Amino acid sequence: MESVAATQETPRRGRKRLSIIDCDIHMPTARDEVLSYLPRHYREQIDTFGMRLPTQGAMYLNGAKGGIMQDQSFPQDGKASSLLAYFQTEHLDKYNIEHAILTGLGDYAIQTTPDADYAAALCTAYNNYGIDHYLANDPRIKSSVMIPKQDPLLAAKEIDRVGSHPQIVQVISSNGAEKPYGHRFYYPIYEACVRHNLPFAVHVSMEGIGINNPPTGAGHVNHYIEYRMARTQIMMAHLASMIFEGVFDRFPTLQFVMIEAGMLWIAPYIWRMDQDWKALRSQTPWVKEPPSEYVRKHVKFTSQPIELPPDESLFLPLMKSMFAETNLLFASDYPHWDFDNPFKSFPKMDDGMWDRIFYRNAAELYGLPARRSETEGASA
Amino acid sequence: MTKYLVGKVGDIPPGGKKIVDAGSRSVGVYNVQGRYYALRNLCPHQGAALCTGVTTAFVTSSGPGDFAYECEGEIVRCPWHQWEFDVKTGQMVVDPATRTIAYEVSVEKYDVSVDDEEYIYVHIR
Repeated sequence: MESVAATQETPRRGRKRLSIIDCDIHMPTARDEVLSYLPRHYREQIDTFGMRLPTQGAMYLNGAKGGIMQDQSFPQDGKASSLLAYFQTEHLDKYNIEHAILTGLGDYAIQTTPDADYAAALCTAYNNYGIDHYLANDPRIKSSVMIPKQDPLLAAKEIDRVGSHPQIVQVISSNGAEKPYGHRFYYPIYEACVRHNLPFAVHVSMEGIGINNPPTGAGHVNHYIEYRMARTQIMMAHLASMIFEGVFDRFPTLQFVMIEAGMLWIAPYIWRMDQDWKALRSQTPWVKEPPSEYVRKHVKFTSQPIELPPDESLFLPLMKSMFAETNLLFASDYPHWDFDNPFKSFPKMDDGMWDRIFYRNAAELYGLPARRSETEGASA
Repeated sequence: MTKYLVGKVGDIPPGGKKIVDAGSRSVGVYNVQGRYYALRNLCPHQGAALCTGVTTAFVTSSGPGDFAYECEGEIVRCPWHQWEFDVKTGQMVVDPATRTIAYEVSVEKYDVSVDDEEYIYVHIR
Protein backbone atom coordinates (compact mmCIF):
# COMPACT_ATOMS: atom_id res chain seq x y z
CA MET A 1 0.00 0.00 0.00
CA GLU A 2 2.83 2.29 0.89
CA SER A 3 4.46 1.95 -2.50
CA VAL A 4 1.21 2.48 -4.39
CA ALA A 5 0.55 5.65 -2.46
CA ALA A 6 4.08 6.87 -3.02
CA THR A 7 3.83 6.72 -6.81
CA GLN A 8 0.49 8.45 -6.86
CA GLU A 9 1.82 11.83 -5.92
CA THR A 10 4.53 11.93 -8.56
CA PRO A 11 3.99 12.10 -12.31
CA ARG A 12 5.78 9.41 -14.22
CA ARG A 13 9.50 9.96 -14.21
CA GLY A 14 10.89 11.82 -17.18
CA ARG A 15 7.47 13.08 -18.16
CA LYS A 16 7.02 15.50 -15.38
CA ARG A 17 8.34 18.48 -17.28
CA LEU A 18 6.76 17.55 -20.61
CA SER A 19 3.79 19.65 -21.53
CA ILE A 20 0.60 18.12 -22.87
CA ILE A 21 -2.42 18.98 -24.99
CA ASP A 22 -5.78 18.49 -23.30
CA CYS A 23 -8.50 17.99 -25.91
CA ASP A 24 -11.72 18.31 -23.93
CA ILE A 25 -12.20 21.21 -21.55
CA HIS A 26 -15.41 22.88 -20.44
CA MET A 27 -14.76 26.37 -19.19
CA PRO A 28 -17.76 27.85 -17.40
CA THR A 29 -18.97 31.20 -18.70
CA ALA A 30 -19.96 34.46 -17.09
CA ARG A 31 -23.65 34.63 -17.93
CA ASP A 32 -24.18 38.37 -18.07
CA GLU A 33 -21.04 38.93 -20.08
CA VAL A 34 -22.18 36.33 -22.61
CA LEU A 35 -25.69 37.72 -22.84
CA SER A 36 -24.34 41.18 -23.60
CA TYR A 37 -23.35 39.79 -27.01
CA LEU A 38 -26.95 38.89 -27.90
CA PRO A 39 -29.22 41.11 -29.99
CA ARG A 40 -31.68 43.15 -27.93
CA HIS A 41 -34.64 41.00 -28.93
CA TYR A 42 -33.21 37.83 -27.40
CA ARG A 43 -31.74 39.63 -24.39
CA GLU A 44 -35.15 40.97 -23.51
CA GLN A 45 -36.77 37.58 -24.03
CA ILE A 46 -34.28 35.98 -21.67
CA ASP A 47 -34.76 38.73 -19.07
CA THR A 48 -38.50 38.25 -19.27
CA PHE A 49 -38.98 34.54 -19.82
CA GLY A 50 -35.69 32.75 -19.14
CA MET A 51 -33.25 30.86 -21.35
CA ARG A 52 -35.96 28.91 -23.24
CA LEU A 53 -33.77 25.85 -23.64
CA PRO A 54 -34.49 22.21 -22.75
CA THR A 55 -31.75 20.88 -20.48
CA GLN A 56 -30.08 17.55 -20.01
CA GLY A 57 -28.99 18.24 -16.46
CA ALA A 58 -32.51 18.50 -15.11
CA MET A 59 -33.58 15.23 -16.71
CA TYR A 60 -30.50 13.07 -16.12
CA LEU A 61 -28.47 13.62 -12.97
CA ASN A 62 -24.93 14.38 -13.95
CA GLY A 63 -22.48 13.24 -11.26
CA ALA A 64 -21.02 15.06 -8.26
CA LYS A 65 -22.25 18.60 -7.78
CA GLY A 66 -23.82 19.93 -10.97
CA GLY A 67 -21.53 17.67 -12.96
CA ILE A 68 -18.37 19.32 -11.65
CA MET A 69 -15.64 17.95 -9.37
CA GLN A 70 -16.60 18.93 -5.84
CA ASP A 71 -13.21 20.43 -5.12
CA GLN A 72 -13.45 22.89 -8.01
CA SER A 73 -15.00 26.15 -6.94
CA PHE A 74 -14.95 28.68 -9.74
CA PRO A 75 -15.33 32.30 -8.61
CA GLN A 76 -18.93 33.46 -8.53
CA ASP A 77 -18.37 37.16 -9.12
CA GLY A 78 -19.77 36.96 -12.65
CA LYS A 79 -16.51 38.00 -14.33
CA ALA A 80 -14.91 36.06 -17.14
CA SER A 81 -11.51 37.31 -15.99
CA SER A 82 -11.96 35.59 -12.61
CA LEU A 83 -13.03 32.35 -14.28
CA LEU A 84 -9.99 32.51 -16.53
CA ALA A 85 -7.59 33.13 -13.64
CA TYR A 86 -9.01 30.16 -11.74
CA PHE A 87 -8.76 27.92 -14.80
CA GLN A 88 -5.16 28.96 -15.41
CA THR A 89 -4.09 28.08 -11.88
CA GLU A 90 -6.22 25.03 -11.24
CA HIS A 91 -5.76 23.34 -14.56
CA LEU A 92 -3.38 24.82 -17.14
CA ASP A 93 -0.47 25.46 -14.78
CA LYS A 94 -1.13 22.50 -12.52
CA TYR A 95 -0.86 19.94 -15.30
CA ASN A 96 1.59 21.79 -17.58
CA ILE A 97 -0.90 22.11 -20.40
CA GLU A 98 0.54 23.75 -23.48
CA HIS A 99 -2.66 23.80 -25.49
CA ALA A 100 -6.13 23.50 -24.00
CA ILE A 101 -8.90 22.74 -26.43
CA LEU A 102 -12.21 24.14 -25.23
CA THR A 103 -14.95 21.94 -26.63
CA GLY A 104 -17.31 24.81 -27.18
CA LEU A 105 -18.52 27.45 -24.77
CA GLY A 106 -21.96 27.61 -23.32
CA ASP A 107 -24.49 24.87 -23.07
CA TYR A 108 -24.92 22.27 -25.80
CA ALA A 109 -28.61 22.77 -25.04
CA ILE A 110 -28.34 25.44 -27.73
CA GLN A 111 -28.48 22.51 -30.14
CA THR A 112 -31.74 21.15 -28.74
CA THR A 113 -34.09 24.02 -29.43
CA PRO A 114 -36.29 24.10 -32.53
CA ASP A 115 -35.68 27.84 -33.02
CA ALA A 116 -32.58 27.77 -35.22
CA ASP A 117 -32.38 31.57 -35.40
CA TYR A 118 -32.20 31.80 -31.64
CA ALA A 119 -29.69 28.94 -31.56
CA ALA A 120 -27.55 30.78 -34.11
CA ALA A 121 -27.66 34.00 -32.09
CA LEU A 122 -26.60 32.13 -28.95
CA CYS A 123 -23.77 30.39 -30.80
CA THR A 124 -22.52 33.73 -32.08
CA ALA A 125 -22.70 35.19 -28.57
CA TYR A 126 -20.75 32.33 -27.01
CA ASN A 127 -18.18 32.24 -29.80
CA ASN A 128 -17.57 35.98 -29.52
CA TYR A 129 -17.44 35.87 -25.75
CA GLY A 130 -14.83 33.09 -25.93
CA ILE A 131 -12.68 34.97 -28.42
CA ASP A 132 -12.79 38.23 -26.46
CA HIS A 133 -12.49 36.91 -22.91
CA TYR A 134 -10.49 33.69 -23.13
CA LEU A 135 -8.64 33.33 -26.45
CA ALA A 136 -7.44 36.94 -26.45
CA ASN A 137 -6.05 36.60 -22.93
CA ASP A 138 -4.23 33.28 -22.99
CA PRO A 139 -2.54 31.85 -26.10
CA ARG A 140 -2.69 28.35 -24.58
CA ILE A 141 -6.45 28.31 -24.97
CA LYS A 142 -7.93 27.10 -28.25
CA SER A 143 -11.64 26.78 -28.90
CA SER A 144 -14.29 25.11 -31.00
CA VAL A 145 -16.99 26.82 -33.05
CA MET A 146 -20.42 26.31 -31.51
CA ILE A 147 -22.89 25.85 -34.36
CA PRO A 148 -26.67 25.83 -34.68
CA LYS A 149 -26.66 22.32 -36.12
CA GLN A 150 -30.45 22.54 -36.51
CA ASP A 151 -29.83 24.64 -39.60
CA PRO A 152 -26.67 23.63 -41.47
CA LEU A 153 -26.71 26.80 -43.61
CA LEU A 154 -26.70 29.01 -40.52
CA ALA A 155 -24.06 26.72 -39.03
CA ALA A 156 -21.86 27.18 -42.11
CA LYS A 157 -22.32 30.94 -41.85
CA GLU A 158 -21.04 30.89 -38.27
CA ILE A 159 -18.09 28.72 -39.26
CA ASP A 160 -17.23 31.19 -42.03
CA ARG A 161 -17.52 34.06 -39.58
CA VAL A 162 -15.05 32.80 -36.96
CA GLY A 163 -13.39 29.78 -38.54
CA SER A 164 -10.21 31.56 -39.60
CA HIS A 165 -9.38 32.79 -36.10
CA PRO A 166 -5.96 31.29 -35.31
CA GLN A 167 -7.11 29.90 -31.96
CA ILE A 168 -10.31 28.36 -33.32
CA VAL A 169 -9.32 24.80 -34.10
CA GLN A 170 -12.50 22.82 -34.75
CA VAL A 171 -16.25 22.86 -35.22
CA ILE A 172 -18.33 21.19 -32.55
CA SER A 173 -21.76 19.64 -32.30
CA SER A 174 -23.48 17.53 -29.69
CA ASN A 175 -24.05 13.80 -30.02
CA GLY A 176 -27.82 14.16 -29.71
CA ALA A 177 -29.14 14.72 -33.22
CA GLU A 178 -32.17 14.74 -35.49
CA LYS A 179 -30.38 12.68 -38.11
CA PRO A 180 -27.15 10.68 -38.06
CA TYR A 181 -24.22 12.91 -39.04
CA GLY A 182 -23.52 11.13 -42.31
CA HIS A 183 -26.78 12.47 -43.72
CA ARG A 184 -26.46 14.88 -46.68
CA PHE A 185 -28.53 17.40 -44.69
CA TYR A 186 -25.28 18.28 -42.91
CA TYR A 187 -23.13 18.81 -46.02
CA PRO A 188 -23.05 22.62 -45.71
CA ILE A 189 -21.36 22.14 -42.32
CA TYR A 190 -18.71 19.85 -43.79
CA GLU A 191 -18.15 22.16 -46.76
CA ALA A 192 -17.44 24.97 -44.31
CA CYS A 193 -15.15 22.73 -42.21
CA VAL A 194 -13.16 21.89 -45.31
CA ARG A 195 -13.01 25.56 -46.40
CA HIS A 196 -11.39 26.46 -43.09
CA ASN A 197 -9.46 23.23 -42.62
CA LEU A 198 -11.26 22.54 -39.33
CA PRO A 199 -12.12 19.08 -38.00
CA PHE A 200 -15.78 18.33 -37.29
CA ALA A 201 -16.12 17.18 -33.69
CA VAL A 202 -19.05 15.50 -32.01
CA HIS A 203 -19.19 15.68 -28.22
CA VAL A 204 -21.53 13.48 -26.21
CA SER A 205 -24.47 15.37 -24.74
CA MET A 206 -28.10 16.27 -25.31
CA GLU A 207 -29.15 12.84 -26.55
CA GLY A 208 -32.94 12.67 -26.41
CA ILE A 209 -33.29 16.31 -25.28
CA GLY A 210 -35.44 18.86 -27.10
CA ILE A 211 -35.60 18.21 -30.84
CA ASN A 212 -33.02 15.41 -30.68
CA ASN A 213 -34.00 11.77 -31.10
CA PRO A 214 -34.40 9.52 -28.03
CA PRO A 215 -31.11 8.41 -26.52
CA THR A 216 -31.58 4.81 -27.67
CA GLY A 217 -33.45 3.15 -30.50
CA ALA A 218 -35.37 1.33 -27.76
CA GLY A 219 -36.55 4.65 -26.38
CA HIS A 220 -35.75 6.82 -23.40
CA VAL A 221 -33.74 5.51 -20.49
CA ASN A 222 -34.23 6.31 -16.84
CA HIS A 223 -30.97 6.62 -14.92
CA TYR A 224 -27.89 8.65 -15.69
CA ILE A 225 -25.72 5.53 -15.90
CA GLU A 226 -27.96 4.10 -18.64
CA TYR A 227 -27.83 7.44 -20.38
CA ARG A 228 -24.02 7.35 -20.35
CA MET A 229 -24.06 3.86 -21.83
CA ALA A 230 -26.49 4.99 -24.53
CA ARG A 231 -24.10 7.69 -25.71
CA THR A 232 -21.71 5.10 -27.07
CA GLN A 233 -24.45 3.52 -29.18
CA ILE A 234 -25.27 6.90 -30.65
CA MET A 235 -21.64 7.63 -31.44
CA MET A 236 -21.48 4.22 -33.15
CA ALA A 237 -24.45 5.17 -35.29
CA HIS A 238 -22.87 8.50 -36.28
CA LEU A 239 -19.57 6.84 -37.17
CA ALA A 240 -21.19 4.20 -39.38
CA SER A 241 -23.33 6.90 -40.96
CA MET A 242 -20.32 9.08 -41.77
CA ILE A 243 -18.49 6.17 -43.38
CA PHE A 244 -21.31 4.43 -45.26
CA GLU A 245 -23.14 7.55 -46.43
CA GLY A 246 -19.84 8.45 -48.06
CA VAL A 247 -19.01 11.67 -46.20
CA PHE A 248 -15.28 10.96 -46.33
CA ASP A 249 -15.42 10.12 -50.03
CA ARG A 250 -17.15 13.40 -50.73
CA PHE A 251 -14.93 15.39 -48.34
CA PRO A 252 -11.57 13.63 -48.53
CA THR A 253 -9.79 16.11 -46.24
CA LEU A 254 -12.45 16.11 -43.52
CA GLN A 255 -11.40 14.96 -40.06
CA PHE A 256 -14.01 13.70 -37.60
CA VAL A 257 -13.37 13.79 -33.85
CA MET A 258 -15.40 11.72 -31.40
CA ILE A 259 -15.26 13.36 -27.99
CA GLU A 260 -16.06 11.91 -24.57
CA ALA A 261 -17.54 8.68 -25.89
CA GLY A 262 -14.74 6.54 -24.42
CA MET A 263 -12.28 4.67 -26.58
CA LEU A 264 -11.58 0.94 -26.32
CA TRP A 265 -15.04 -0.08 -27.56
CA ILE A 266 -13.99 1.33 -30.90
CA ALA A 267 -11.65 -1.62 -31.56
CA PRO A 268 -14.27 -4.40 -31.88
CA TYR A 269 -16.62 -1.97 -33.57
CA ILE A 270 -14.05 -1.40 -36.32
CA TRP A 271 -13.64 -5.18 -36.68
CA ARG A 272 -17.41 -5.58 -37.05
CA MET A 273 -17.62 -2.84 -39.69
CA ASP A 274 -14.81 -4.42 -41.71
CA GLN A 275 -16.37 -7.87 -41.53
CA ASP A 276 -19.80 -6.65 -42.60
CA TRP A 277 -18.35 -4.49 -45.35
CA LYS A 278 -16.85 -7.59 -46.94
CA ALA A 279 -20.33 -9.07 -47.24
CA LEU A 280 -22.34 -5.92 -47.97
CA ARG A 281 -19.86 -3.84 -49.97
CA SER A 282 -21.94 -3.94 -53.14
CA GLN A 283 -24.79 -2.06 -51.41
CA THR A 284 -22.56 0.98 -50.76
CA PRO A 285 -20.07 0.74 -53.61
CA TRP A 286 -18.91 4.35 -53.14
CA VAL A 287 -17.19 3.15 -49.97
CA LYS A 288 -13.91 2.27 -51.62
CA GLU A 289 -11.82 0.92 -48.76
CA PRO A 290 -12.47 -1.16 -45.64
CA PRO A 291 -14.17 0.96 -42.95
CA SER A 292 -11.08 0.62 -40.76
CA GLU A 293 -9.15 2.60 -43.38
CA TYR A 294 -11.65 5.46 -43.17
CA VAL A 295 -11.31 5.37 -39.41
CA ARG A 296 -7.53 5.37 -39.59
CA LYS A 297 -7.43 8.26 -42.06
CA HIS A 298 -10.32 10.44 -40.88
CA VAL A 299 -11.36 9.74 -37.30
CA LYS A 300 -9.79 10.79 -34.00
CA PHE A 301 -10.97 9.78 -30.55
CA THR A 302 -10.51 11.47 -27.20
CA SER A 303 -9.63 9.25 -24.28
CA GLN A 304 -12.00 10.34 -21.54
CA PRO A 305 -13.90 8.62 -19.96
CA ILE A 306 -11.23 6.00 -20.42
CA GLU A 307 -12.41 2.44 -19.94
CA LEU A 308 -9.77 0.08 -18.58
CA PRO A 309 -9.94 -3.70 -18.92
CA PRO A 310 -9.61 -5.55 -15.59
CA ASP A 311 -6.86 -7.57 -17.26
CA GLU A 312 -4.23 -4.96 -18.09
CA SER A 313 -2.66 -7.17 -20.76
CA LEU A 314 -5.72 -6.48 -22.94
CA PHE A 315 -5.06 -2.77 -22.94
CA LEU A 316 -2.26 -2.42 -25.48
CA PRO A 317 -3.75 -4.85 -28.06
CA LEU A 318 -7.01 -2.89 -27.98
CA MET A 319 -5.11 0.38 -28.26
CA LYS A 320 -3.33 -0.97 -31.30
CA SER A 321 -6.61 -2.11 -32.83
CA MET A 322 -8.09 1.37 -32.58
CA PHE A 323 -4.97 3.05 -34.03
CA ALA A 324 -4.27 4.79 -30.74
CA GLU A 325 -0.73 5.66 -31.72
CA THR A 326 -1.96 8.00 -34.43
CA ASN A 327 -5.65 8.55 -33.67
CA LEU A 328 -6.06 8.84 -29.91
CA LEU A 329 -6.02 12.22 -28.15
CA PHE A 330 -5.73 12.72 -24.42
CA ALA A 331 -8.67 14.51 -22.80
CA SER A 332 -9.32 15.29 -19.14
CA ASP A 333 -12.87 16.67 -19.42
CA TYR A 334 -11.96 19.29 -16.80
CA PRO A 335 -13.75 20.45 -14.67
CA HIS A 336 -16.34 17.70 -14.92
CA TRP A 337 -16.70 15.13 -12.19
CA ASP A 338 -15.48 12.21 -14.31
CA PHE A 339 -12.23 14.08 -14.99
CA ASP A 340 -9.27 11.94 -16.07
CA ASN A 341 -6.08 13.00 -14.36
CA PRO A 342 -3.32 13.37 -17.02
CA PHE A 343 -0.79 11.68 -14.74
CA LYS A 344 -2.89 8.82 -13.45
CA SER A 345 -5.60 7.76 -15.84
CA PHE A 346 -3.57 5.65 -18.29
CA PRO A 347 -1.72 2.37 -17.70
CA LYS A 348 1.98 2.32 -18.50
CA MET A 349 2.96 2.94 -22.10
CA ASP A 350 6.28 3.43 -23.78
CA ASP A 351 7.41 7.04 -24.12
CA GLY A 352 6.78 7.18 -27.86
CA MET A 353 3.16 6.15 -27.50
CA TRP A 354 2.67 8.49 -24.55
CA ASP A 355 4.09 11.39 -26.54
CA ARG A 356 1.74 10.69 -29.47
CA ILE A 357 -1.37 10.50 -27.30
CA PHE A 358 -0.56 13.36 -24.95
CA TYR A 359 0.82 15.76 -27.55
CA ARG A 360 1.65 14.92 -31.13
CA ASN A 361 -1.61 13.47 -32.40
CA ALA A 362 -3.48 16.56 -31.28
CA ALA A 363 -0.77 18.91 -32.54
CA GLU A 364 -1.00 17.34 -36.00
CA LEU A 365 -4.80 17.32 -36.04
CA TYR A 366 -5.20 20.91 -34.91
CA GLY A 367 -2.12 22.33 -36.62
CA LEU A 368 -0.43 23.31 -33.36
CA PRO A 369 3.33 23.82 -32.97
CA ALA A 370 5.78 21.46 -31.29
CA ARG A 371 6.34 21.80 -27.57
CA ARG A 372 7.96 25.08 -26.58
CA SER A 373 10.56 23.14 -24.63
CA GLU A 374 11.49 21.20 -27.76
CA THR A 375 11.70 24.34 -29.88
CA GLU A 376 13.91 25.99 -27.27
CA GLY A 377 16.05 22.89 -27.11
CA ALA A 378 16.54 22.91 -30.86
CA SER A 379 17.60 26.53 -31.04
CA ALA A 380 19.93 26.36 -28.03
CA MET B 1 5.54 3.94 14.04
CA THR B 2 5.40 7.66 14.59
CA LYS B 3 2.72 9.32 16.63
CA TYR B 4 1.35 12.68 15.50
CA LEU B 5 -0.79 14.95 17.62
CA VAL B 6 -3.57 16.11 15.31
CA GLY B 7 -6.02 17.86 17.59
CA LYS B 8 -8.21 17.81 20.63
CA VAL B 9 -11.30 15.68 21.02
CA GLY B 10 -13.39 18.86 21.12
CA ASP B 11 -12.15 19.78 17.61
CA ILE B 12 -13.95 16.87 15.97
CA PRO B 13 -17.47 16.29 17.30
CA PRO B 14 -19.42 13.11 16.43
CA GLY B 15 -20.18 13.15 12.70
CA GLY B 16 -17.33 15.59 12.19
CA LYS B 17 -14.12 15.44 10.22
CA LYS B 18 -10.83 17.30 10.21
CA ILE B 19 -8.13 17.20 7.56
CA VAL B 20 -4.71 17.45 9.17
CA ASP B 21 -1.06 17.12 8.29
CA ALA B 22 0.68 14.24 10.01
CA GLY B 23 4.32 14.27 9.09
CA SER B 24 4.35 14.71 5.33
CA ARG B 25 0.91 13.13 4.94
CA SER B 26 -2.47 14.74 4.57
CA VAL B 27 -4.88 12.73 6.70
CA GLY B 28 -8.63 12.92 7.29
CA VAL B 29 -9.64 12.24 10.88
CA TYR B 30 -13.28 11.23 11.38
CA ASN B 31 -15.43 10.96 14.47
CA VAL B 32 -18.04 8.27 13.90
CA GLN B 33 -20.31 8.09 16.94
CA GLY B 34 -17.53 8.88 19.36
CA ARG B 35 -14.87 6.69 17.78
CA TYR B 36 -12.06 8.15 15.75
CA TYR B 37 -10.75 6.92 12.41
CA ALA B 38 -8.03 8.27 10.14
CA LEU B 39 -7.65 7.87 6.38
CA ARG B 40 -4.93 8.98 4.06
CA ASN B 41 -6.36 11.95 2.18
CA LEU B 42 -5.62 10.44 -1.23
CA CYS B 43 -7.90 8.49 -3.50
CA PRO B 44 -6.17 5.38 -4.89
CA HIS B 45 -8.04 5.81 -8.18
CA GLN B 46 -6.76 9.05 -9.69
CA GLY B 47 -5.24 10.88 -6.78
CA ALA B 48 -7.94 13.30 -5.63
CA ALA B 49 -7.97 14.54 -2.03
CA LEU B 50 -10.37 11.83 -0.90
CA CYS B 51 -11.34 13.28 2.48
CA THR B 52 -12.55 16.56 0.96
CA GLY B 53 -15.46 14.56 -0.46
CA VAL B 54 -18.80 14.25 1.29
CA THR B 55 -19.20 12.04 4.34
CA THR B 56 -22.45 10.19 4.07
CA ALA B 57 -24.24 6.85 4.39
CA PHE B 58 -24.28 3.73 2.25
CA VAL B 59 -27.44 3.67 0.16
CA THR B 60 -29.15 0.32 -0.28
CA SER B 61 -32.36 -0.76 -1.90
CA SER B 62 -34.83 -3.61 -2.26
CA GLY B 63 -35.68 -2.49 -5.81
CA PRO B 64 -36.15 0.51 -8.10
CA GLY B 65 -37.62 3.51 -6.35
CA ASP B 66 -36.66 2.27 -2.87
CA PHE B 67 -33.75 3.90 -1.05
CA ALA B 68 -32.47 2.97 2.39
CA TYR B 69 -29.43 4.17 4.32
CA GLU B 70 -26.90 2.15 6.28
CA CYS B 71 -23.66 3.02 8.05
CA GLU B 72 -24.56 6.66 8.51
CA GLY B 73 -21.41 8.81 8.56
CA GLU B 74 -19.13 5.89 7.70
CA ILE B 75 -18.81 6.43 3.96
CA VAL B 76 -16.67 9.03 2.22
CA ARG B 77 -17.27 9.75 -1.46
CA CYS B 78 -14.31 10.96 -3.47
CA PRO B 79 -14.77 14.58 -4.62
CA TRP B 80 -14.00 13.67 -8.24
CA HIS B 81 -15.49 10.32 -9.26
CA GLN B 82 -17.65 9.70 -6.22
CA TRP B 83 -16.18 6.28 -5.44
CA GLU B 84 -17.34 5.22 -1.97
CA PHE B 85 -14.84 4.31 0.77
CA ASP B 86 -15.39 2.92 4.25
CA VAL B 87 -14.07 5.43 6.77
CA LYS B 88 -13.28 2.60 9.22
CA THR B 89 -11.07 0.57 6.88
CA GLY B 90 -10.12 2.76 3.93
CA GLN B 91 -11.55 0.12 1.61
CA MET B 92 -13.72 0.90 -1.38
CA VAL B 93 -17.12 -0.52 -0.55
CA VAL B 94 -17.81 -2.39 -3.79
CA ASP B 95 -14.18 -3.37 -4.38
CA PRO B 96 -12.34 -3.78 -1.07
CA ALA B 97 -9.04 -4.47 -2.85
CA THR B 98 -9.04 -0.81 -3.86
CA ARG B 99 -8.15 1.08 -0.74
CA THR B 100 -6.49 4.06 0.81
CA ILE B 101 -4.47 3.72 4.01
CA ALA B 102 -6.39 3.66 7.28
CA TYR B 103 -4.21 4.74 10.22
CA GLU B 104 -4.46 3.79 13.83
CA VAL B 105 -5.85 6.54 16.05
CA SER B 106 -5.54 6.90 19.79
CA VAL B 107 -7.12 9.31 22.23
CA GLU B 108 -4.87 10.20 25.14
CA LYS B 109 -4.94 12.39 28.18
CA TYR B 110 -2.04 13.71 30.16
CA ASP B 111 -2.34 13.28 33.90
CA VAL B 112 -0.45 16.51 34.46
CA SER B 113 -2.64 18.55 32.13
CA VAL B 114 -4.38 21.46 33.76
CA ASP B 115 -7.31 21.36 31.36
CA ASP B 116 -9.60 18.41 30.85
CA GLU B 117 -8.88 17.89 27.15
CA GLU B 118 -8.12 14.63 25.51
CA TYR B 119 -5.77 14.62 22.54
CA ILE B 120 -6.10 12.71 19.28
CA TYR B 121 -3.04 11.01 17.83
CA VAL B 122 -2.62 9.42 14.42
CA HIS B 123 -0.05 6.65 14.21
CA ILE B 124 1.84 6.40 10.96
CA ARG B 125 4.11 3.55 10.13
